[in-house]
Amino acid sequence: MKRFYIYIILIFSFTACEDVVEVDLEDAEPRLVVDAAIKWEKDTEGNEQYIYLSNSRGFYDDEINNVSGAEVQIENSNGDVFQFEETEAGTYKTSTFEPEIGMEYRLEISLENKTYTATETLTPVPPIEFIVQNNEGGFFGDNIEIEILFVDPEAEENFYLFTYKDPNFAYPDFDIFDDGFTNGNQISTSYSDEDLEVGDRVNIQMLGISESYYNFLNILLDQVGSSGGPFATQPATVRGNIENASNPDELIFGYFSLSEMNEREFIIQEEEEE
Amino acid sequence: MTPIYKLLFSILFCCSLSSFGQNYKISGQVTDDQNEPILGANVIILDENRGTVSDENGNFSITLPQGEYNLKISYLGFKEITETINLNKNLVLNFQLEPKSEDLEEVVISSSVEKINIRDTEMSVSKLDASSVKKIPVVFGEPDVIRSLLQLPGISNGGEGTSGFNVRGGAADQNLLLIDDAIIYESSHLFGFFSIFNPDAVDYLKLYKGGIPASFGGRVSSVLDIRQKTGNTQMLKGEGGIGVISSKLSLEGPIQKDKSSFLVSGRGTYAHLFLKLTDNNNSAYFYDINTKFNFKLDEKNKISFSGYYGRDLINIDDSFSNIFGNAFGVLNWKHRFNENLNSDLNLSFSRYGYELELPDVGFNFKNSISNFKINYDLKHNINESLDFDYGINSIRFTINPGELIPTSEVSSFNPRTLSNKYAYDNSAYFSVNHSLSEKINLQYGLRINAFSRMQDESIDIYENNNPLLYDENRDIYVEATPVESISGNNSKIDKTYFNLEPRLGISYIFNDNTSVKASYNRMVQNLHLLSNTSSPTPFDVWTPSGKYVKPQQLNQFALGFFKDFEDSPYTLESEFFYKTIDNRIDYIDGANLIANDAIERVILNGESRAYGWEIYFKKNTGKFTGWISYTLSRSEQRTPGRTPQEIGINNGDWYLNPYDKTHDLSIVGSYELNESWSFNANFNLQTGRPVNFPVGQFEYQDLNVPIFEGRNLNRLPTFHRLDISATYVPKNQTKSWESSWNFGIYNVYNRRNAASLNFEQNETTGQNEAVRFSIFGIVPSVSYNFKF
Repeated sequence: MKRFYIYIILIFSFTACEDVVEVDLEDAEPRLVVDAAIKWEKDTEGNEQYIYLSNSRGFYDDEINNVSGAEVQIENSNGDVFQFEETEAGTYKTSTFEPEIGMEYRLEISLENKTYTATETLTPVPPIEFIVQNNEGGFFGDNIEIEILFVDPEAEENFYLFTYKDPNFAYPDFDIFDDGFTNGNQISTSYSDEDLEVGDRVNIQMLGISESYYNFLNILLDQVGSSGGPFATQPATVRGNIENASNPDELIFGYFSLSEMNEREFIIQEEEEE
Repeated sequence: MTPIYKLLFSILFCCSLSSFGQNYKISGQVTDDQNEPILGANVIILDENRGTVSDENGNFSITLPQGEYNLKISYLGFKEITETINLNKNLVLNFQLEPKSEDLEEVVISSSVEKINIRDTEMSVSKLDASSVKKIPVVFGEPDVIRSLLQLPGISNGGEGTSGFNVRGGAADQNLLLIDDAIIYESSHLFGFFSIFNPDAVDYLKLYKGGIPASFGGRVSSVLDIRQKTGNTQMLKGEGGIGVISSKLSLEGPIQKDKSSFLVSGRGTYAHLFLKLTDNNNSAYFYDINTKFNFKLDEKNKISFSGYYGRDLINIDDSFSNIFGNAFGVLNWKHRFNENLNSDLNLSFSRYGYELELPDVGFNFKNSISNFKINYDLKHNINESLDFDYGINSIRFTINPGELIPTSEVSSFNPRTLSNKYAYDNSAYFSVNHSLSEKINLQYGLRINAFSRMQDESIDIYENNNPLLYDENRDIYVEATPVESISGNNSKIDKTYFNLEPRLGISYIFNDNTSVKASYNRMVQNLHLLSNTSSPTPFDVWTPSGKYVKPQQLNQFALGFFKDFEDSPYTLESEFFYKTIDNRIDYIDGANLIANDAIERVILNGESRAYGWEIYFKKNTGKFTGWISYTLSRSEQRTPGRTPQEIGINNGDWYLNPYDKTHDLSIVGSYELNESWSFNANFNLQTGRPVNFPVGQFEYQDLNVPIFEGRNLNRLPTFHRLDISATYVPKNQTKSWESSWNFGIYNVYNRRNAASLNFEQNETTGQNEAVRFSIFGIVPSVSYNFKF
């Protein structure tokens, strides 16, 4: 929408421009951030998993505030416990995780005498049928584009997250959607970027996600690059599913999610003659 | 008789102080040399220091005791007529005024239509006629009705490049837009770069900000009442203009001389053609056509037809196409029963449609709103001090909230049609203009409204009738899942709301030049534009009141002071207003409004309020004319939780509306140097629009996520801009071809006013930064205008 809007403006105003400005900002109190996205790649063991803990920081602060010294574990509904060890500051790792579709898992983090918990279910994802490259991508239809095709299961409501790591960008591109308009069909989704060149490697992850994780990401992605533009929605507090058991009013950023995943490395090919 | 008895006597008998003897009435019509009615002509009884003003049909009436009088009929820019009459029976007198001089005509008419009325109860009304609109410099040199209104007190918008306008802190969807009584749903072309009102087809417009008469209803913020021009009944005439990015042409003339006429006016932009030249297949343009046909059947009956059709077309490389616009047709019959009773019957159809097509993904999406409307209004002039207006109004709304059509075999999309929504809006009203004494005028009225929402084809039933649940653990709102869906019947009423809307206005006249006025009005709105963006977009969908969406209800108070400085061209108006609106819809975080069949699952009912002070100082005549308008105001809303456990929206706290502007100053000036050259300038200074600055960030899955607390606590930098224009009329003008050149510079000192500030990660470095987006730098323009 934003790009569309800017485009309309460009047609009519040859004088529109963007520039970086300095804005004095206030900094709020740091809060705990839990980045606990468990991803189980199809046809792998899935027993190596990572959870990252940090504190929120000022908008212009470059250094991440890692949180060390926490005890992190996940327990499934059978009572199996998977302990996470801190491998470097703020990074917690397990090598014993046992993923199972539809299983309910509970995250527990103990930090400075406080206990943080969250519960989620591992969500499946259908396989990717195939990935193709074309040169009709982008707003003007002249960029290199990667197209991913898969078949949406008809029986249930599905939610998807696609992430693309592109060497031309400093951060990944997130794309979420539900099958509300496309239930049971073969669905194609695509990624394009005007800087893509032959030989570029693009990492593609396709994850099945729960409805409540979808709602969380929907609000989170609204904040990222949130424009104060006239056609932007009002910003919101991104509330996740992690709770302080003894103080329910404490706001903790981040989310505990579990997804089955398809992952591909796609290398941009020479253009084929038609 | 003591004065207090006199006053009581006159109130009781609804008649004026001087009318004790045998009274007779003088009535008639004032027209110009082309038989067009003149609005606002003065009919003055010399020696008596009394008079009246003609209405929009040119009609006037005045009651006087038997006797001999000198009558003066005058209108700025026209030669006045003086006539001596002997009043010994009721008289019907028609006057035709001759213009004073050709080239002054345009300028002077405006100052008369727009001149403040000291005596009348009318307040909080902004008036403009086409010639004033054409004088205010605008970007690209295309005169624009809404941009001109923005220069007046109490009227603002969301900033450059946004659509709609805001009146006294109201939202854009709270303005009732009427052209010749037909309802318009979207006021902008191309996201607000142009408004849909073609100045060449507009005769005059009135914007009611407050003290709204009972004859209007349906929106809670304002009424913009636009009247199209009536074609010339004497001879064929045309006018047009050729500009940098748009052109227009109007033709008008008699169908049968003196009896009937036509007007056809069209406009279009062609900026996209330049893109075509550069081998660019993208386009964005609009066109619109206005028509009016007018038939005078006899002295008592007039029939007219007005029509409009406008479309915006945006096409991007054949992979994205977007078409939207308004259309309407109105049939009007004016009948004059006698000099005291006039009627106006209107039948109209109006539609706004939006269509989006993405051929590559095989996706076509449409939505629309349309209505049939009938209204019958009677104006009853009971005596000189009492006018009684009454009427009925009935509207049928049809809303198609969305229709998704897969356009190719391989499309991923399933066809889906959201069921149409139907509603009936019926009202009756009366409105009385009552002159209690020489000092006090009253206007009072009542509107009774019944709004019936018909059943949808399928009705979702929720547990405890609650479509929106609250998750207390996470403090978020969650959409409920219906327990069952039952089928409904379009011809059965689902929910009816009855509302009474009292209106009251009073003016106290100190002397002929000074008065104070006060007004109160209650209004309801049963159509709501679903929009959770700062400024409305063309694909926003309307929804009627119903089981879960309650009617918005306004209460507004206004108090004003009016002064016409004696023997000088200056006038001063100043008003205070305070208003509250109940049941303003607000949206839960992350609400999706597009093609959503269950809006009740994402909305909450909130409230809004606004208050302010407006001042308007104007020089009406002379070589130099212009005004200073200033508004100090605040506009905010809140949506508390439904129970104490719920946080509501923004923790239930008041937050500023995105179009709130604390200070809003406009200075408009126009200088006629000589017959060839005139100069115009306007300057705007406004508090920056409320926006949100982040108070931190957190890192999640390699993304930097800005943290926002509260809503609209920060502001964009102060907005200011100066525009100038010059009009050159070449010397060798002939009657058959008049022409002029307009040269303009928008944003003379190239101020980079921020339209938005985006807080985002740099794509290449990954560093966080604040990016300012500004739309217009300095923009020169030139246009050539002609009349024949």
